[in-house]
Amino acid sequence: MPDFLRKILKAIAVCLVLFWSLVPIVLIVVSSFKADKDIFSAPPQILFAPTFDNYVALWTRWGDFFHALLNSAIITVGATVLAVLSSALAGYAYSRFRHPALAGSAFFLIFVRLIPPIVVTLPLFPAVNAMGLNDTHILLIVLYATFFVSLGTLVMRTFMDQIPRELDEAAHIDGATRLQILRKIIFPLAAQGMVAVSVFVLVFSWNEFIFAFIFTTTNAKTAPLVISEMYGAVEGVEWGVLFAASTVQLLPVLLFVILAQKHLVAGLTAGATKG
Amino acid sequence: MQAKNRVDSHNFLVLLHSQPGQNELEHLGNALARPGHPHMGVCMPKSGVKVRSSNLPALFMITPVQLMVISMIFIPVLYVGWLSLNESSFGQAPLFVGLDNYINVLSDPYFWKSLSNTVIVVLVVVHLELLLGVGVAMLFASGVPARPLMLAAVLAPYAVSEISAVVMWRYLFDYDVGFGTQFLSLLGLPLLEWSINPTHGLLLIALLSIWLHLPFTFVILYAARLAIPGDLYEAASVDGATAFQKFRRITLPLLMPAMLIAMLFRYIFAFRIFSEVWLLTGGGPARQTEVLAVYLYLEAFRYNAFGKAAATGWLLVIASLLLALWYLRRLYKEMFANYA
Repeated sequence: MPDFLRKILKAIAVCLVLFWSLVPIVLIVVSSFKADKDIFSAPPQILFAPTFDNYVALWTRWGDFFHALLNSAIITVGATVLAVLSSALAGYAYSRFRHPALAGSAFFLIFVRLIPPIVVTLPLFPAVNAMGLNDTHILLIVLYATFFVSLGTLVMRTFMDQIPRELDEAAHIDGATRLQILRKIIFPLAAQGMVAVSVFVLVFSWNEFIFAFIFTTTNAKTAPLVISEMYGAVEGVEWGVLFAASTVQLLPVLLFVILAQKHLVAGLTAGATKG
Repeated sequence: MQAKNRVDSHNFLVLLHSQPGQNELEHLGNALARPGHPHMGVCMPKSGVKVRSSNLPALFMITPVQLMVISMIFIPVLYVGWLSLNESSFGQAPLFVGLDNYINVLSDPYFWKSLSNTVIVVLVVVHLELLLGVGVAMLFASGVPARPLMLAAVLAPYAVSEISAVVMWRYLFDYDVGFGTQFLSLLGLPLLEWSINPTHGLLLIALLSIWLHLPFTFVILYAARLAIPGDLYEAASVDGATAFQKFRRITLPLLMPAMLIAMLFRYIFAFRIFSEVWLLTGGGPARQTEVLAVYLYLEAFRYNAFGKAAATGWLLVIASLLLALWYLRRLYKEMFANYA
């Protein structure tokens, strides 16, 4: 194949990949600044007079959404802290101790993770109601964390394995307690792993739909749920407001993922130069 | 060193997001690309130095994690198994009915419709995703301009919630003015009547599901591709191999283990698809786009048929575990081998 043809084909492929990944996102974000008449004009407007009307409408008519956004934030932070801390503890145990019972429990952890989440809603729904936990933040925090601790524990164990055992043994000989060893030596050194686990739990909790849909009604309702209500509104979808809400919900976590990617990019470049 | 490199394929993003200096990606890739190499997660380095104290602290440390998993997943799932043998509803004492619920479910045409929809969606989504993932990984491996930015772009859908994705794709394929619709008509292709035609509905569900999950598949395959030693390709070039031969004889076989792992995980996760379907079509028109999870939800929370829903749930659990059997067996052997 001639060289220039190969280059052209590659350029086309790169464009297609960018197109595929970014167009849906860009379209929503850009359209959220369009007036209603521009949103559904054919052919689509590339140039248009930007307006904040949709955001104003979101603020004035869907105050519910910002309450839900706050709920999402509380639940996400709670689930992340719970999942990261418990995974770090378990990860340390699986990294440093040997016992058949530990092997069994580790296997159990992964086995259980393969079960489809929706199945547990059947018995949990009446149980949660009976305990008065329906529509509370704590329920979603525990549920989200639970569905990520298996993965979190695996990841933390991998990171803990890279911390030399000699470090905690030396501290042990110097008379440090287990808790001190964890807090002063292990956790700081495994901070990278903890950040990594947080990325997973955070993205998942921020976006989760099924559990929020089944277990919340008003008090602990999360942002994706309110967006789905706007989307399913009987009197016809108000697309502009919907786009504004999606943009507000999407941007923080998108920025977070892109920022967390810096590590990824650095790792990749290092890999490429080392061959 | 190898012991450390064994990571669950699921850890991939984490390892990418971290330890920039340590070239984790390459380690991960090594683990994934080496044929026959165990890449399961919880396996201990065999040469681990024994900590002299007892194992008691370990039990305390794993307690929170185990407690959560047991109380929120394990016991509920066992209880679903029990519920599936009973006739029950809210505020009503369960009445043992044996396998009646299963008979009801298995004789319900909507169950079979949702099962076949699920199978179709899973097959289309997972295999197209794998194909696209390999393609994009090859493209990246051959060098792309502004790689960090390109990577950010490819991974961006990972941050998007299902509801936002549904909003995006519905807008794209709006029947009157959507970009996607206009593009289709430009090519002279039939338009997606996704809200009327069940097949088209499932097609749009598959499309947006692929879009949401491609980052996962891509990263696993890209990491595996990066780990293939460059000298293999150089040697092949010296021997006069064509690009296609190199792909066929080097890339494909060495990528196979990673592809299997990615495929297996995506089978299991695509099998539980709910939100995309629920939000886009709600299972309609006329229950024709229901998938198993939607069927379960409707039976339980709309039609109050708890027994039937429980039977469906238990069938879902069994099917998921059967899908994962190969993975679970390897995991089991490896874990106990490492602990003994």
